[in-house]
Amino acid sequence: MADSPIIAARALIKRYGKLEAVKGIDFAVERARCIGLLGPNGAGKTTTMRMVMGLATVSAGELTVFGVPVQKMDRQTKAKIGLVPQENSLDPDITVSENLAVYGRYYGLSAAVIAEQVPRLLAFMQLQGRASARVIQLSGGMKRRLVIARALIGDPELLILDEPTTGLDPQARVMIWKQLMELKKQGKTLLLTTHYMDEAQRLCDRIIVIDHGEILDEGTPGQLIARHVKGHVFEVQKPLPNGMADGSWDQEDIGDAILYYVQSPPDILNELPDDAVYLHRPANLEDVFLRLTGRKLRET
Amino acid sequence: MSLVPRGATYTTAVTWRQYLVWRKLLWSSLATNIANPILFLFAFGFGLGRFIDSIDGMTYLAFVVPGMIAYSAMFSASFETTIGSFSRYYMHRTWDATLATPVTLVELLLGEVVWAAVKSLLSALSVLAIGWVWGGIPSVSGALLALPVVFVASIGFACYGLVATSLARGYEFFSYFFTFWVTPMFVFSGVFFSIERFPPGVQVISWLLPMTHLIAVIRPLSAGLPLDPGWTLLHLGYLVALTVVAFLFAYAKIRRRIFD
Ligand SMILES: Nc1ncnc2c1ncn2[C@@H]1O[C@H](COP(=O)(O)OP(=O)(O)OP(=O)(O)O)[C@@H](O)[C@H]1O
Ligand SMILES: [Mg+2]
Repeated sequence: MADSPIIAARALIKRYGKLEAVKGIDFAVERARCIGLLGPNGAGKTTTMRMVMGLATVSAGELTVFGVPVQKMDRQTKAKIGLVPQENSLDPDITVSENLAVYGRYYGLSAAVIAEQVPRLLAFMQLQGRASARVIQLSGGMKRRLVIARALIGDPELLILDEPTTGLDPQARVMIWKQLMELKKQGKTLLLTTHYMDEAQRLCDRIIVIDHGEILDEGTPGQLIARHVKGHVFEVQKPLPNGMADGSWDQEDIGDAILYYVQSPPDILNELPDDAVYLHRPANLEDVFLRLTGRKLRET
Repeated sequence: MSLVPRGATYTTAVTWRQYLVWRKLLWSSLATNIANPILFLFAFGFGLGRFIDSIDGMTYLAFVVPGMIAYSAMFSASFETTIGSFSRYYMHRTWDATLATPVTLVELLLGEVVWAAVKSLLSALSVLAIGWVWGGIPSVSGALLALPVVFVASIGFACYGLVATSLARGYEFFSYFFTFWVTPMFVFSGVFFSIERFPPGVQVISWLLPMTHLIAVIRPLSAGLPLDPGWTLLHLGYLVALTVVAFLFAYAKIRRRIFD
């Protein structure tokens, strides 16, 4: 069992009535890795995570967590998973530390373990000064940190993080990244979604790009960049200089400019006329994401 | 392993959470628990009671106090598993958060129901205490014996509330529940006059409502009158059966709503 993946999905499908939110995806999450699930709004990320948690039934296909099919997930298996849901779902009627204590009870922890864990987790998420505050008195960022602390109460082996840093200031994000890296070092397995490409690039060992319920590609951030956007991007303003419009380039029209993807800058610099207006930068995950999932807005 | 089944610790974990909230609102809940029966008994005892000497072989006060005990227990449980549960389920999404832990849906719902029944018991107890001070409890031992019956019936009242929650799409929905379920029990279950005053057709409606059966058992108890064992079993059987059906219905419905 040592090498079998923590999560394994085969031809996994989720239907909501007629809508197929997840359309037969295959993926695996290996132990002590951080796997990123990236995709535009409505891609099916949350749905996939809810199926892993047993919070959404599987319509078809196979999904195992710790080797157990999710339909048969027992208490011991469930206790090994912690969830940071996309929406906070904190208990507004009780205090910060009570939120953690109640959750500890839900994980079947003894009062002694809870008494020891709560201050430790508050410190871990830098909330120690807020232990007896009501949830409504917390800022958005503090609430998010509390949700992360709550997910850790049962000392889970697998952490599922649905946009853990959305709405946080840069300081809080950096702090959470540091703590997540620490958890990974401790051997915990992370499945993460985010709309911040820098976050994915920094935290994820492997990235799965998903859209309209289908996997478009997966690999390490480096592999994805090399595969889809080479190494460098030249954004050349229209009208294009002579000789640049032919099809021999790996290029993408984005309206008032064309993006050229090249292995190394000299490849294109030698061809660009002196009067060309362009911007040069190293290619990043954002380029991969936009190239794979298109540039149109997803408000449908 | 302990004698208590493992699932019970998860159910009590849910109940414990409700207790934590309640503890903070202790004074306001105590105040309503005391003020409500005083106001009602004032109205019935002074108002109606003046015109009625005795009813079904007891003073009017002895008649109305067990009715009030049943009604306050019913109202308390109904409120808890409708407005209360719906807020946790729909508005705050804490049910979702709970179900992400080892707690199962059955345990979550049982935890909600048990707590609602505990709250019902507390309101019943305060009506009992005030009714006793007022002189409306001829048999204190009988009234105390009635409390477990109130608790069992309140589990049911909580389950009927859960059925409403399982169907609700917003808070407005509960106005139906209160208008077509809670208020009819106040009117038709014999809280403040005997249901024998109703024409036979209406009495059928009365006997369909669970609170009628609860009052039929606890009124003779607190009045110190004899209970017919056969009828008592029938009343209790009806209460338990309806409770089980309601719980299973609510469970199936909520399960589909959350997981599918
Ligand atoms: N409970 C539900 N009932 C019906 N449709 C749903 C439900 N939950 C999600 N969907 C639909 O399933 C699709 C995938 O939604 P999902 O929440 O998984 O997207 P996502 O990738 O998490 O998006 P976002 O980045 O906006 O969080 C969407 O079309 C959404 O409208
Ligand atoms: Mg989502």
